[in-house]
Amino acid sequence: MNRKMRGRGMASSWYGIARTATIDRAGAWAELDDGGTAKIVTGVTEIGEGILTVLAQVAAEELGVRPEDVTIGDNDTSRSPEAAHAGATRQTYMIGNSVALASRDARAKLFAEIADHWDVPVDSLRAFNGELWAQDTNLRMSMDEAVKTCKGRGVVPVGSASFTAHGTGLDPVDGSGSPWQAYVFGTQIAEVEVDTWTGEVQVLGVWAAHDVGRAINPRGVEGQIEGGVVQGLGQALMEDYQTENGYTTTHGFAKYILPTSLDIPQINCTIVEDPDPLSPLQAKGIGEPALVPTAPAIMNAIYDAIGVRIKSLPATPEKILDALRNHVPGREQIAQSARQDRAEAHRRGL
Amino acid sequence: MPKIDLTMDVNGRKVVKQTDPHKRLLDFLREDLNLTGTKEGCGAGECGTCSVFVDGKLVKSCLMPAAKADGAKIETIEGLARPGSLTPVQQAFHKTGASQCGYCIPGMVMAATSALRENPDAGIEEIKERLGGNICRCTGYTKIFEAVEIARDVIAGRLPETALDEDATGESFIGANVRRLDAPSKVSGRLKYAADIKMVDMLQMQVLRAPMPHARIVSIDTSEAEAMDGVACVITADDVPGTDGFGVFVHDQPVMARGKVRHFGEAVAAVAAEDLVTARRALAKIKVEYEELPGVYAPEDALKPGAPVIHDYAQDNVIKHIPIRKGDPEKGFAEADLILEDVFTTQQVEHAYLEPEAGIAYVDHDDVVTVLSPSQNITHHRHMLAEILALPINKVRFIMSAVGGGFGGKEDMIYQGMLALAAMKTHRPVQLNFTREESIVASAKRHPSKVHYKMGLKWSGEITAIEFDMLSDGGAYGMSSEGVMRKAAILSCGPYEVKNLKVDTKVVYTNNTPSGAFRTFGGMQAQFATESMMDMAAEALDMDPFELRRINMMRIGSRTHTQQELTTASLDRVLDAAEAASRWEAGAPKVRGPRRGDLGGPDTRQPCTLGARIGEPTVTPTNDERVAS
Repeated sequence: MNRKMRGRGMASSWYGIARTATIDRAGAWAELDDGGTAKIVTGVTEIGEGILTVLAQVAAEELGVRPEDVTIGDNDTSRSPEAAHAGATRQTYMIGNSVALASRDARAKLFAEIADHWDVPVDSLRAFNGELWAQDTNLRMSMDEAVKTCKGRGVVPVGSASFTAHGTGLDPVDGSGSPWQAYVFGTQIAEVEVDTWTGEVQVLGVWAAHDVGRAINPRGVEGQIEGGVVQGLGQALMEDYQTENGYTTTHGFAKYILPTSLDIPQINCTIVEDPDPLSPLQAKGIGEPALVPTAPAIMNAIYDAIGVRIKSLPATPEKILDALRNHVPGREQIAQSARQDRAEAHRRGL
Repeated sequence: MPKIDLTMDVNGRKVVKQTDPHKRLLDFLREDLNLTGTKEGCGAGECGTCSVFVDGKLVKSCLMPAAKADGAKIETIEGLARPGSLTPVQQAFHKTGASQCGYCIPGMVMAATSALRENPDAGIEEIKERLGGNICRCTGYTKIFEAVEIARDVIAGRLPETALDEDATGESFIGANVRRLDAPSKVSGRLKYAADIKMVDMLQMQVLRAPMPHARIVSIDTSEAEAMDGVACVITADDVPGTDGFGVFVHDQPVMARGKVRHFGEAVAAVAAEDLVTARRALAKIKVEYEELPGVYAPEDALKPGAPVIHDYAQDNVIKHIPIRKGDPEKGFAEADLILEDVFTTQQVEHAYLEPEAGIAYVDHDDVVTVLSPSQNITHHRHMLAEILALPINKVRFIMSAVGGGFGGKEDMIYQGMLALAAMKTHRPVQLNFTREESIVASAKRHPSKVHYKMGLKWSGEITAIEFDMLSDGGAYGMSSEGVMRKAAILSCGPYEVKNLKVDTKVVYTNNTPSGAFRTFGGMQAQFATESMMDMAAEALDMDPFELRRINMMRIGSRTHTQQELTTASLDRVLDAAEAASRWEAGAPKVRGPRRGDLGGPDTRQPCTLGARIGEPTVTPTNDERVAS
């Protein structure tokens, strides 16, 4: 065996979007504001995934303004409507749809006034990127003027909405139920190099294909996939929180090892868009699902490279070396006949 | 304590200040100069969030005593660009989406700036090496690498400055790479996280933590601590006015240990004092008498008859068991040509968000108890805290501060209750900032799991039956365990239509660090086992792993493990996309690495050989204003 051995492995995954086995919901308020800007208030929780930017894009699209013109009032239990937690890969789905619907509500108030002002049918109006116009006419104004006109008629263009996703609980006996209304699927391939002298595994490439429904911000989706892959890689190869009789023995980053820039494979993302028919935005989510297939893809790749299967995470150099030492030639043939024997025994009802 | 006099040049301005001799350069910058763009992530030089330039060299300011920087020229994130402008490095971070939660980003921008100052022509391998002392938990580093390469090329004139501009938007903002609206505040260090905020008259809190994993609290004597000068209050479980208990599913965790401690590092009492040093000293004056109890440290042991009981309400130590049944597994296994059986385990994993837990509580002018913290679920926290404080719900207010990474780890209300109690007792703002060590021992982890797996297949590749049995260690408190088990069970057997299955997931109490929500919520533990089994099956069947998955995959109309009929399903498309993108060479997974022809393509990186990657600068270090400024 060469010192450095390479191999590839793949793994697939699935995931449910929004809260599990319950009725999820989120509320939002929207206002078209002076200067053709917009205010969105919702109990959203930006934890780094970029949800504020996603919501600004959604609001801008629905209101006819630009994302940078949108101010988002975020989570404050005394000042913003309930939109619940940052988790369960739910914010784009739940709050994104809620903001879209609230924005449509506000836009309808504005459009009603402008249609009356111009004496055109309301469904001929369009707005995008700070401009509002009536189709098939030369009627056009900036959103700044539109808001002024609307307010001049005594109307503040505000809207609100609540979005819900239905899930059912699980039957306590057989677990049957419909825990989510939207599912996403993913597949990742990992390419590794194993140093058979030191047991160290380097992941050189990851190809990650994930269905997100509809990518509202493709770069943001990639960022979520890349971050998920690297957390998955950390769990696969190095991260290990340990206690000894309840006492923590890994109490800092000197003992709890995390991936750094030198551990990062080239991550090649493919975004697949299978629109969700139950969601006004058609988007689903990506935050959590991106992490799921990484560790098994890496373990499958290690097997491909050196013929040892790590079934206990993380695949530390010590475990790899130990497994290589206990590598029994012909073990696969032995295992295969055991599997067939087991099936035969089952058939005979043993 | 005698003060010391310090003189420094900080971001081009002379600073003359008296300060305490114990301060690190990091403390001096943050506390004395209010330069809070420099963050504390670990206090041990391991994460790089506190990186600054000292006399032109990149330094971790948590490792340098302030006194040692006397007379030095200091440059912090706030000094890189003039107010209202960004350097090319910062602009590139903005463009590529290199900042997510943003907490590591000031340090990362400093390290990137240092890399390009040291070698303006640094290649990607050298850039990676030079960023190696800075941890980012959100981005996977990829967009950071891209940003540094763009900045390098713009500075060198190889790319036009327009390369730093936002991508153009077409006919819709949906699907457009709109730059993150919060990125300028993150790349410039302007965004204030909870630990960066100061309020007038604010007290500092410190927490006394359990020195053992399982013990009865015989007595707590706080009198000596309370009598200390500068101590505003000491709180224990006795100060809770309402129903004490929080948790995402079961409210089994008291704000502070009540009568007994159940894990090492659990909060037992807390002090609010005029300053951090006084609060720390006061902790040493609290006398707690413990009677150590036998503990449970393995989930299998928790289930044994006669095992120590950790919570009275759960005499069997079981937090939750989720069963799923479908079809007739016995029949399915009898139809199988092959039966694989194996055991898979996963470890406890720390979230390691770079921002340790932090928060401020105060009672406002309308008697509203207000908590500002980087919590992932303030909606639920408000409900729980109102019960704990016995207040009407509109007299409790939670404000989300900027969250420096969460990944599920900031869903648990492990410290906000203590802050609220101290604020109510003193009617002053109270701040608590965890150390990294505190964060690691007190916050929840990913559930460690053990899965017994049995899978039956036909020679055709069709899965005929699965038995999936998972046991997880929930640790000392329930937190999100119930939901994690539910999700693990629902997703257990993967994206495959399996006609006959028997799935059980069970989580138990032990005296280990609690397990809680962590990105995938049980999904990865379960599917690690399934996807390993799938490859083992593909090997046994002499079949390509994609093919085996296609044979069994869920399709439109498939019934999931919980018998939900799918109206959409995209695994077929996703498999095709991944297979094509990776140039996958088909074949059974039989250790064919040495013979593969699809390895080492242009879409992989070079393996890393430490130390061999720092190149000699081809030109002398730059004096380019745009890097230097």
